[in-house]
Amino acid sequence: METFIGLIQESISGIALGSIYALIALGFTLIYKATEVVNFAQGELMMVGAYVNFYFVTTFMTQNGEPTVGIFLIAFAGSIIFAFVFGWVLDWVINRPLKDEPIFSVIMATISLSIILRALVAMIAGPMSLIPYSPFGNKILSINGIIISMLDLSIIISAIILVILFYYFFNKTKWGVAMQATSEDPVAAQLMGIPVKRVYGLVWIFSALVATISGILLAPRMSLLDTSMGFLGLKAFPAAVLGGFGSITGAIVGGIIMGVIETISMGTLSYHFGWIKEMNDIIVWIVLIAVLMVKPDGLFGEEKVKKV
Amino acid sequence: MKKATGLFILTGLLVMGCGNRASAPGVSEDKILIGNVQDLSGPMKELGAVLPAGSNLYFRYVNENGGVHGRQIEMKVEDHQYNPQKAVAAAKKLIEKDQVFCLYQVIGTSPCEAIRPILAESGTPLVAPATQSGSMSDMSREAADLIFHTDTGYDKQTRILVDNILADNVNAKIGLIYQDDDYGENVLKGAAVAESSTGVAIQKEAYQRGATDFAGQVANLMKGGATHVIIAGVVKEPIIVMKTAAAMGYAPKFYGTSPTMDHRVSLAAGPAGEGFTSANFASLWNSDAVAAVLYRELCSKYEVPEAYMGMYHFYGFITAQVLVEGLERAGQYPTRERLVNGLETLNNWDGGAFPPITYSQTDHAGTESVILVEVKEGVQTVITDWID
Repeated sequence: METFIGLIQESISGIALGSIYALIALGFTLIYKATEVVNFAQGELMMVGAYVNFYFVTTFMTQNGEPTVGIFLIAFAGSIIFAFVFGWVLDWVINRPLKDEPIFSVIMATISLSIILRALVAMIAGPMSLIPYSPFGNKILSINGIIISMLDLSIIISAIILVILFYYFFNKTKWGVAMQATSEDPVAAQLMGIPVKRVYGLVWIFSALVATISGILLAPRMSLLDTSMGFLGLKAFPAAVLGGFGSITGAIVGGIIMGVIETISMGTLSYHFGWIKEMNDIIVWIVLIAVLMVKPDGLFGEEKVKKV
Repeated sequence: MKKATGLFILTGLLVMGCGNRASAPGVSEDKILIGNVQDLSGPMKELGAVLPAGSNLYFRYVNENGGVHGRQIEMKVEDHQYNPQKAVAAAKKLIEKDQVFCLYQVIGTSPCEAIRPILAESGTPLVAPATQSGSMSDMSREAADLIFHTDTGYDKQTRILVDNILADNVNAKIGLIYQDDDYGENVLKGAAVAESSTGVAIQKEAYQRGATDFAGQVANLMKGGATHVIIAGVVKEPIIVMKTAAAMGYAPKFYGTSPTMDHRVSLAAGPAGEGFTSANFASLWNSDAVAAVLYRELCSKYEVPEAYMGMYHFYGFITAQVLVEGLERAGQYPTRERLVNGLETLNNWDGGAFPPITYSQTDHAGTESVILVEVKEGVQTVITDWID
C-alpha cells in the first residue's frame, strides 16, 4: 500500500514536471508544424519569459509593498503582451530573412539565438540567481494521503488548457488549417491565397506565448531563476521526439511520459531495484530508442510520404 | 689575460647580484601576474562573476597599501565554462602565453583534476582551488606538491556531519542525497568512512546535476524512515528537497555540505528551511571574525553591490588572503619554488576566517575542520566551534 501511494505521489510530481517538458515540446511542435524548423532557442524563450515576469512582479511590488494576486495578474498580462511582441520581432529577425534559405541555416540561427539570449539576459539582469515569487506560496492540496502542491496543480491545468486551445485552433479554425497547409506545401498554400508570411509570424508569436507561460510556471518550481533555465529545452526535445515531432498530442504525452519516468525511476524503482540508480541518466534515452524502434515517427507522429 | 680576468669578474658580479633574483614568469619590478580560470559563461557563471570580484577586493586593498614587497598584484581571469578540456586550454594560455606566476582559485573539481599534468609539466603552483573535493589534497596524485587546498574536503565534511548527528541522537537513521558526479563521489567516500567507523548504514539517493524534481528521492527517504538527511547539493537542490519534503508532510532534520551554506537557501526555502544545518569551512561573512569585519569595511569603502556580498564573494576574499600570505613568504624575489616553500611554512596560520591553516611538504590540505551553521528563525546562526 505504501509503495502504491508512493508511486501515485511520484507520478503526480512527474506529471507536473512532464507538463513543463510538454509545454516546451509544444513550443517546438508549433514552429515545426508550420515551418518544419526546429527552434533550438525554445528553452531560452521560456527563460526570457520568466525573467520578464519577474521584472514585472518586482516592479509593481516595490510600488505596492508585496506581491498580491492583482500584481501577479498584472505581471502575467504584461508578460503575455511582451511575448506577443517578442515572437513578432523574432519572426522578423530570424524567420523572414531566412525564409527561403536551407532549413539548416534557420536551425543554426535558432542555436545562435539561444546563445545570444542567454548572454543578453545575463548582461541585463546580472549574473546572480533571483528568487522568483509564486502566486500560490507553499499551499498544498491533500487527498487521501496524496499531496499535490497548488503550483504543480496549476502547471498541470495550464498544460491541459493550452493543449485544448491549440488543438482546437489547429483543427477547427481557418488560421489553424492555413498553418497546416503552409506546413505541407508553402508554395501551394501561397497560390491558394494563404498569407504565408503572416502565418509564420503567428506561429512564432504562439511559440513565444507558450514559452512565456511555461517560464512563469516553472520559475517558482525551480526555486531560483537563472539563465541556465534555458537548458531545460534540451530535456524537452526527446519528449517531443518520443511523442512524434509535429504532433500536439504527441508533445504533451511525450512530455508527461518523460517526466513520470524521470521521477519514478529516481524514486520507487531505485528504492526497490538498486541497479536502476546507476542508470538514471540514461533510462529516458533507453525508453526513447525503444519507442522509436517500434514507432519510428514517435507515438503520435504521422508518417509523411513525399514524392521524389 | 686582462680580458679573461674582466670577464671572470663580470660573471662573478652577475652571479652574486642575481643570487636571490632569479626571475620568475609573471614577476616584474612592480607587478605580479596571477592566473585564474573561472566559469564565466557556463552553468556556474554566477560564481565566476562573484569569486574573482571578492579576490580583487582584497588585492585592491593590498595594492593600495603598497602591494606585496612593493609589487602590485594583477589577476587575469580566463573562462572554462565548467568544461575540463577548456580548463586545460585556458590554463595553458595563462601559463605559456600570459606567463602568469601561479594559478589561483581555478573552479570545479573536474577542471582542477584536468589541469594537473600542465601544473606538473610547467611547475606552476595552484593556490586555493575553488572546490571542496578532498582529492585536491591527496598527496599521491599528480602535481599534488604544487596544489595548496584551503577548504575542508566534502569527504571530511560528510564524516563530521554524520558524527555530529549521531552525537545528538544515537538512534538517528541517516539519509544522504548526493550529486552523481565527482562531487558526490567525494561525499560518498566520506559517508563510507563514517559507516565503517560508526557501524551505521546510510541510505543514499542520487540525483543528476540540473535536476529540478526530487519527489522520488524524498519519497524514498521517507519510506526508508530517515530521521536526519544530509543534502550534498549546491543552492537549488536543498531548497527544492526541503520544500518537497514539507509538502509531503515529511519532516526530518536537514543538513548540508558547504555549498548549501548560501544564505539564499533559507530565503527561498522559507519555513521549510527552518533548522537547516550546514557545514562550512570558513567563518561567516557577516560574523565578527577578523577577516569578515575587514571584508565588510572594504565592501562599504569600495561600494561593492549588495547582490555580490555573501559567502562566495567572501570566499574569493579570504582565499586571496592565503595567496598574499604565500607571496609575502616567497620573499622579495619570488620564484614558483619559493612560493611553494613559503606556503609550506604556514603553521597554524590564522587569517581570521579559515580555521588555522598548516601546510607541510607532505600535507597540503590546510584545514580539516568546519563550523556548523543552523537556520534559526530564518537567520543563519553558528552553533558550534571548529569541529573535526
